[in-house]
Amino acid sequence: MLPKFSILTPEQVQTVHDHTMKIMEEIGLEFSYEPALEVFRGKGLKVEGQRVYFKRDFVEEMVKKAPSQFTLHARNPENNLICGGENIIYMPGYGAPFIHEADGARRSATMADYDNFVKLAGASKNMHMTGGNVVEPTDVNDSIRHLKMMYSHIVNSDKSYMGSASGFEKAQDSIELAAILFGGKDVIKEKPAIICLVNSVTPLKYDDRMLGALMAYAEAGQAVVIAALVMAGSTGPATLAGALAVQNAEVLAGITLAQCINPGTPVVYGSTSAITDMATGSLAIGNPECALFTSASAQLARFYGVPCRGGGGLTDSKIADAQAGYESMMTLMAASTTGINFVLHSAGILQFYMAMSFEKFMVDDEMAGMLLRYLQGIDFSEEKFALDVIAEVGPGGHFLTQKHTRKNHKVELRRAELSDKQSYDGWGKEHLDTNQRAHKKWQEVVASYEPPALEPQIRKALDEFIEKRTKELSK
Amino acid sequence: MSEIFEEIKEAVIDGDEDLAGELAQKVLDENINPVEAVQQGFIKGIEEIGNSWKAGEAFLPDVMMAADAMKAGLAVLEPSIAELGGGDDDTGKIVLGTVEGDIHDIGKNIVGALLTAAGFKVYDIGIDQKAENFLAKAEEVGAQIIATSALLTTTMNAQKELIEYLEEKNLRSKYKVLVGGGPTSQTWADEIKADGWAETADEAVELCKKLIS
Repeated sequence: MLPKFSILTPEQVQTVHDHTMKIMEEIGLEFSYEPALEVFRGKGLKVEGQRVYFKRDFVEEMVKKAPSQFTLHARNPENNLICGGENIIYMPGYGAPFIHEADGARRSATMADYDNFVKLAGASKNMHMTGGNVVEPTDVNDSIRHLKMMYSHIVNSDKSYMGSASGFEKAQDSIELAAILFGGKDVIKEKPAIICLVNSVTPLKYDDRMLGALMAYAEAGQAVVIAALVMAGSTGPATLAGALAVQNAEVLAGITLAQCINPGTPVVYGSTSAITDMATGSLAIGNPECALFTSASAQLARFYGVPCRGGGGLTDSKIADAQAGYESMMTLMAASTTGINFVLHSAGILQFYMAMSFEKFMVDDEMAGMLLRYLQGIDFSEEKFALDVIAEVGPGGHFLTQKHTRKNHKVELRRAELSDKQSYDGWGKEHLDTNQRAHKKWQEVVASYEPPALEPQIRKALDEFIEKRTKELSK
Repeated sequence: MSEIFEEIKEAVIDGDEDLAGELAQKVLDENINPVEAVQQGFIKGIEEIGNSWKAGEAFLPDVMMAADAMKAGLAVLEPSIAELGGGDDDTGKIVLGTVEGDIHDIGKNIVGALLTAAGFKVYDIGIDQKAENFLAKAEEVGAQIIATSALLTTTMNAQKELIEYLEEKNLRSKYKVLVGGGPTSQTWADEIKADGWAETADEAVELCKKLIS
């Protein structure tokens, strides 16, 4: 693996921490969820109304209780993932309500789209998880949407996936489903099987929906990504240093809460901070500032000794075009090379998280493959220097007919899957650009995908649980 | 007299809320016609900043702070303008808020500022607001438009509930109801029978102009 590079000096990391502590101690954060306030009162923190004032020593002590890495269990143990350390986990985009078609047409996302993205992630060599909330299936009633989404991940792939974070009850349903899949709640309490995404409401707030989910996951010993999205210039200071301190205060407050509820709860330090487009007020994510926030966050998480989430194939483009490509490569590469462990939004995102695109998914998947190869670095073991082969070929020869070449090129030279490497005439036969090739390819992948088998009795138990809950929730 | 109008215009362009209020008070103290102060000073300033914004030379903080400065000045002048019988009768009135269950307000605030800058009278009722609060405010101020914001797919349904609530009260035809926010779309607006939808704040201003003219 390539060494991860740092963009901050140790002194800069310390100064971010010091300013963060000032925010937490003197300004405080708001929690609009009584059970969370009770937890903080119980720990002796000053609570005024919904505002909680944290103490530096207390925060530092609580954050230390979070594990530096943990295993996220998949129904196929071969797909278990270690979150933390040198590892990187890629997965699809999260939460977009729209689909942008190859020609840029926009429509609402459906459950059929949801299944297709899960299948694409299941089939991909580069996506380690099938993600969660891969689109918002707006054709399914909100009250039971989470059940359908979980089910899609469970039956369409044996990779690990994310649970619902839409309030305590939906979080509980996600945990119940995982318990059925893995053989009981006590099993998953020991072996975390789902992870959910909890977001603060910047600046310096958490809402009841997210806190409910956080508490359900922490109580059940499941993993939680605690993330802040500061929009520099609108929901946070326009200066990156100040925005970073706001983000850090929010994430540390969330981690502190999770550790208060259940010490040792696996948490991931999350950042999706980016900037505001100052002409329109829109979020803008495909830019160098977002890459800087991502890189700095990886370093802050290392400082706190917890895994980190950030970056992704991020773009503000509306279609899988050149802008989508260059912006996404910058943000995915920044995440991958600076030590982010959990890369939500690795594939498919367009227009600042508002839309998913199947074509963009395939483009990002290619980038993810390129980056995974890049991260492997160069193997300098003795036989890789191939001195005997160099001697045999000698000056002026070629290596194409060497056994060493035939054996090693498949290992060392990544073969592009989507990019066109043909001659001009070869390309000219079909004359397809990246977007058009991606359009063809995702349909082929979905059509030929065979979901891994699921034991019939487990499937039956899942079906029964979903049927029961659907009835209860549809009342 | 044109000197103070020029100062007012500059105060608005600079987004100087305090100065705009002070100058408005000076207008009253010196018995200058407040309607002229609005037309020659405040509106000139906001128009200029609006044009710079459209040209890409000014940015949201410039426009939003100018709108705040204008609001501060108008608040001082309004009682005298009302006394003169010149009125805000022909100004469009808009009740604006984020729907119940949703506490996101950046987009709403931007829309509010740009509508103010465009000369509308905006009544921002804030975040997490029930349908009845939108209606109560609209009735109170005599608004023509109710504009609702929702950022989450889980809260956008409250936009539909507001329309149903108005129907229930037999007041649907009295108001133009607009919807906006990240997950919303023209399709959504059509589905819930809203009177309009806009994706961006400047499109929202154009939409309100069209609906009120």
